[in-house]
Amino acid sequence: MRRIRVIPVIMLDEGRAVITRKFGNPIYVGDPINAIKILNDKEVDELIILDITNKRKRNTPNFDLIAKMASESFMPLAYGGHVITIADAERIIKCGIEKISYNTALFTNPEMVREFSGKFGSQSTLASIDIKKNLLGTYSVRTKNGSHKVGTNIELILKSITQLGVGEILVNSMDQDGSLDGYDVRLIERMTKCINVPLIACGGAANISDFVQAANVGKASGVAAGAMFFFKGSFDAVLVSYPDQKTLITHLYNNLD
Amino acid sequence: MVVIVDYGVGNLMAIQNIIKKVGGNSIISSDIQAIKSAEKLILPGVGSFDYCARQLRQRNLIATLEKEVFVNKKTILGLCVGAQLMTKSSEEGNFPGLGWVNASTRQFDRQHVPVIPHMGWTDVTFSQSGLTKNFDGDARFYFVHSYHFVFEDESQILGTATFGYKFVCAFQRDNIFGVQFHPEKSHKYGMRLFKNFITL
Amino acid sequence: MSSDAKYKMCSKTVLDTTVPGISFNETGECHFCDYYKTLADRTINRDAKVRATEFEKVVNIIKKSGKGKKYDCVLGVSGGLDSTYLSLLSREQGLRPLLVHFDNGWNSELAVKNIENIVNTLGYNLHTYVMDWEEFRDLQRSYFKASVVDVEVPTDQLIFAALSRIAFKYKIKFILAGNNVATESINPAGWVYKDKLDLVNLKSIHQSFGIKKLKKLPKLGLYERYFYEAIVGIQLVNILDLINYNKAEVKEIVQEKLKWKDYGGKHYESVFTRFYQGYYLPVKYGIDKRKAHLSNLILSGQMTREAALRELQEPPYSPTEQANDKEYVVKKLGFTPDEWEQIMNSPKVPHENFETEKSRKYKFFYLLFRSVMYVPVRILRFLKILHSPVKINTRW
Repeated sequence: MRRIRVIPVIMLDEGRAVITRKFGNPIYVGDPINAIKILNDKEVDELIILDITNKRKRNTPNFDLIAKMASESFMPLAYGGHVITIADAERIIKCGIEKISYNTALFTNPEMVREFSGKFGSQSTLASIDIKKNLLGTYSVRTKNGSHKVGTNIELILKSITQLGVGEILVNSMDQDGSLDGYDVRLIERMTKCINVPLIACGGAANISDFVQAANVGKASGVAAGAMFFFKGSFDAVLVSYPDQKTLITHLYNNLD
Repeated sequence: MVVIVDYGVGNLMAIQNIIKKVGGNSIISSDIQAIKSAEKLILPGVGSFDYCARQLRQRNLIATLEKEVFVNKKTILGLCVGAQLMTKSSEEGNFPGLGWVNASTRQFDRQHVPVIPHMGWTDVTFSQSGLTKNFDGDARFYFVHSYHFVFEDESQILGTATFGYKFVCAFQRDNIFGVQFHPEKSHKYGMRLFKNFITL
Repeated sequence: MSSDAKYKMCSKTVLDTTVPGISFNETGECHFCDYYKTLADRTINRDAKVRATEFEKVVNIIKKSGKGKKYDCVLGVSGGLDSTYLSLLSREQGLRPLLVHFDNGWNSELAVKNIENIVNTLGYNLHTYVMDWEEFRDLQRSYFKASVVDVEVPTDQLIFAALSRIAFKYKIKFILAGNNVATESINPAGWVYKDKLDLVNLKSIHQSFGIKKLKKLPKLGLYERYFYEAIVGIQLVNILDLINYNKAEVKEIVQEKLKWKDYGGKHYESVFTRFYQGYYLPVKYGIDKRKAHLSNLILSGQMTREAALRELQEPPYSPTEQANDKEYVVKKLGFTPDEWEQIMNSPKVPHENFETEKSRKYKFFYLLFRSVMYVPVRILRFLKILHSPVKINTRW
């Protein structure tokens, strides 16, 4: 049976776990360490932690918190946010993290990403790419929490990124973020066509059929979600959930092309 | 006491963490004395084959390890590239392997797999041994690799998995064990395997 | 303890001289036997018909209060047995509760899974009240540093505050509670702080040891309580006392109907409570709360003394889990191993060493306030501007 990875994403804002909508309006969902402990007990495939704390408030990784989170995780863990030097990256790996996710650094400091990949391997190097659609439907790659526009030639940008030794790519559709409206499958499809490393789709998932779409149509190797795993019902009640194996086998893996 | 051999590669904290979780004791060390006094050994490994092989060589650990494994018959578990190092060679690199098992390491056949690397959770079929007991056909582990073992001696095969095609993902030769996957990142399945390992 | 010459265990229950102030009568029964009998005679031991009628009456009052509204009651869910069964009972009775979950940062996976199953199966709306963890942690740390016995006060008190606030927000008059005489009415005074809702005591403990201001946590002082109870008319209803509440039976029912999963000991759905009752209390104070829980079951005829004694032979929970929990709790609360050692070695400090609501100045002003309010409130009720609270069972 073929499996694809189903990956919860946790955002950190000054050490607090939050879920965002279109990269804004962070909603507090509690203590990240307990959320991770619960997700670990739910035996999630993998976990991505992205620190979105405003640079003015803190501009280095919170190593103490990273180590505490890693010690609760018996699954692969990716961390991204405020990784500016190779020394920081090394320290994070030593905390027990498998992969580091790079976003702004892909463009501001590509040499560091390349050096990191050479030292720790491409399997530890995750490129997180934020993409926003304008009113005319043109996509642009963004950095710095979506505030800075890098360019609109997605194919070219992807090519230069994969040349840095990146082992997989996380695509965050900013317009879908927290919307529970489904993935931007066309965008995912367009991106998987021009890369030969695994792609993880993120932004908008509300249920398992969205995963199936991303995998079958978009050809994603992994599917990530935040709001879907943290909210329950019409009040957006915070309640961590994750489909069990039986559900995944019946509704996801068995429906993969 | 389990000694996790520290030769500069691998997520050692994660290994120590899971051993502790299942009630075992371990230290992370590159000290020859520590390796000599260890009850059991773990040889981790992540990254490229040559990088790992070079690191292991540079630290002058090979002779000590071979003495502990072959003369003192200490149980050793290789993880991922650590296990690949135990084979004779790898297509990935120019350095020779340790040649502890009758196998080589080859790249996935691109013709038959959807994408490389093989990254994610995959079912594993085990044959019976002390390391693989208490799995009732539900073994599932996290893999990240582009290369896999190819065995000439089938009696050393302990487990297989399928990615495009069936490949060997676990082996045993007497007191030498190796797994391609990452049990330290495989939830209760990994815990079960480490529990088995510490009670071997 | 048993080496102590004065050690004695009750002849009927499993409570013993580890309970401060325990006394025994001439037949060797402890004073809790009497206490329980008095309580049960007033509540669950009454004639079945009388209770059934009262149950029906209460359900109807609640339903009537919610006419034309989306909800008729608030129901706190923890994922534990009592609140899970209460959810099912509400459904069977046609009540329309708003489920409220209080997330204090210590949920276990089983707890959230149980809640998810309740919501999925019964189709009720859920509202989660997420505590600000940084503040809540500071509060819990203060209780540990104060070395008082009842570190559960912050949770117990803030749950009630959260439920009251939500009831007020949605104009709901009734809060269904899972508290019940049959399984959890024995709470020895030296083992818990009886005045769970004492905000003065909580603040005083926090002021002495906390470092963060408590800005975001829901607080509920004497005056707010008066406001919710007397002015708004929000009431707590212990509806389980009006039915035959048998733990073993109920467990089976919720396992079957709501896919409820057992988590071991009483209140072990919270990692913190499991650690607190299963490790902290026994190791630091020699308090084994199971003795109270099991005695309660013996007294309500749901367990034999032999079975209870057998259970007490076992550790509260597995030593491996205890070790894992200890590491997790200490890490999560942000104590260093040394600090934790110190806490474990500090002697017990009575809650009353800190200020309490019963302190003279608080009591004086509160009584003054109530007497001033008495006449205006009565007049407003008489004029039907304020609703008179409907009197239903008021044991708690």
